[in-house]
Amino acid sequence: MLDALDKDLLKAVAGLEKIPKGAYNIRKNGKLLGRQTSANIDIETNDEGTGIVITIAPNTQNESVHIPVILSEAGLHDVVYNSFIVGENSDVTIIAGCGIHCGGDQKEGHEGVHEFTIHPNARMTYIEKHYAFGSGKGKRTLNPTTRVVLKENAYAEMILEQIGGVDIAKRVNEASLDDGASLMIKENVLTEGNQNAESHNDIRLNGRDCSANLVARSVLKGDSKQDFIAVMEAHNKCYGHIECDAIIMDNATSDTIPSLKARHPDAELTHEASIGKIADDQLMKLMSLGLTYDESVNRIIQGFLKAN
Amino acid sequence: MLQINNLSFIVENQEKTERKTILDKFNYTFEHGKFYGITGPNGSGKTTLAKTIMGINTLTSGQIIFDDIDITHHSITDRSNAGISYSFQNPARFKGISFRQLLSIAAQTDDEQTLMQIVARVGICSLEFLDKQVDSKLSGGEIKKIELATTIARNPKLAIYDEPDTGIDLWTIGPMIDLLKKEQKNHQTTTIVVSHNKNFLEAADVILILKQGQFVYEGNLDGAMPMLTDLGTCAAPDLCEGENDVRCFR
Repeated sequence: MLDALDKDLLKAVAGLEKIPKGAYNIRKNGKLLGRQTSANIDIETNDEGTGIVITIAPNTQNESVHIPVILSEAGLHDVVYNSFIVGENSDVTIIAGCGIHCGGDQKEGHEGVHEFTIHPNARMTYIEKHYAFGSGKGKRTLNPTTRVVLKENAYAEMILEQIGGVDIAKRVNEASLDDGASLMIKENVLTEGNQNAESHNDIRLNGRDCSANLVARSVLKGDSKQDFIAVMEAHNKCYGHIECDAIIMDNATSDTIPSLKARHPDAELTHEASIGKIADDQLMKLMSLGLTYDESVNRIIQGFLKAN
Repeated sequence: MLQINNLSFIVENQEKTERKTILDKFNYTFEHGKFYGITGPNGSGKTTLAKTIMGINTLTSGQIIFDDIDITHHSITDRSNAGISYSFQNPARFKGISFRQLLSIAAQTDDEQTLMQIVARVGICSLEFLDKQVDSKLSGGEIKKIELATTIARNPKLAIYDEPDTGIDLWTIGPMIDLLKKEQKNHQTTTIVVSHNKNFLEAADVILILKQGQFVYEGNLDGAMPMLTDLGTCAAPDLCEGENDVRCFR
């Protein structure tokens, strides 16, 4: 059964108001809360009992699977290893995410290692949202790792969001691409107070004519800190682009380190990075339309994170 | 409707060792419902004056009265909500804000019907514009049209347009002027246009020529023409008292 708190968390991280239709696996406080498979999507606990294996049958079209994790038990640090096998020619959406409610002073956290194998000509959209709330002073930690292997002509779009409440986050994204494969990663992170977020990205462009686009948007408020490290390494005729923009406010600090490594003469790699406060002309424009200074700041940040 | 009393705007360098006076004890009263065309040489203080009225620049001294209320120390937001609207010369570009969203902020509604009516009223933006992102991909002309639409969407009592024709194609300038005149007529909008474009000046009821922080001419376009068409250069602007009708404004 879902209580009111569970529903809030599920809504925040997976856009769910109730138990979803189709395949799902909901994990609460380290235990299985509910699971549903479908004709084309199978979910099984892995051999070690440390996570799940999701197998999407070849040619599955326009189906989705929800796999949210919710934590509301003080002192719990949940670790899972999930594997996703996306069959040839399929087109699926996977909605993951972790929501933490912290009511006490003990720390709570979640580490999710997600490994994807996207088979030839398959398309996957992966949405992962992280969110924490509650009046407790315990530190909330979320350390997600995604490892993606894209086979020939496979496509993956990964939308990774952390929009508040998480004290410590260390994200690792790794990907390797075969011939003609294509990867789009959109990462949005907002930190405030004394929060700290790190994002380490390592993308290997191995196949001919493969392409990757990594677009990161960060907003840093208060005394928060974010490090963004992205390495794109090309071993073939391919295209890769890194774009990382940060809006920095108050006393926040940001390190942004895009790195391009060409190991093939026909590799085409580009990057653009910017860190700065909100532009005055944007604030003036919105204030001239009747918004207050604070409303203008919020509207600009909202758009900036949504633009991705 | 807008009274400017003894307004000075002085800028200092970072070390505060040098001061430059842009507007010097400036006085003028703009009357309700009139269309003013402000022109003058580069650096004469036109944009500074316009921005100071909107509150974007903070004046050094003086007073601004709008509709009998002293707005000298009001914020941009308060001036906007009092009925002043401003069209920027170089409009801001955003990541993740569409024209529809900007228009919706300006009109304080997200009602589709109302937004469509505003677009129809403005005329120069097509409906497809609504879903365009107001970002760096827009052309100079497109963003100026959006700027104009958001200014009009405020239903201002006083609309200030800073060089509205920058980046606008020749075919749009005419309709743009017609639009500002229509707004003036239908909504009694007091209109101030800062421009070097003769077409805009022709549309104005009153031409004001600004030089070194002061209006040196107030009147109709015919009277201003000798000053505007004199292409001579002045070697001693501080000493020259002008000749014929051409006072030294260069």
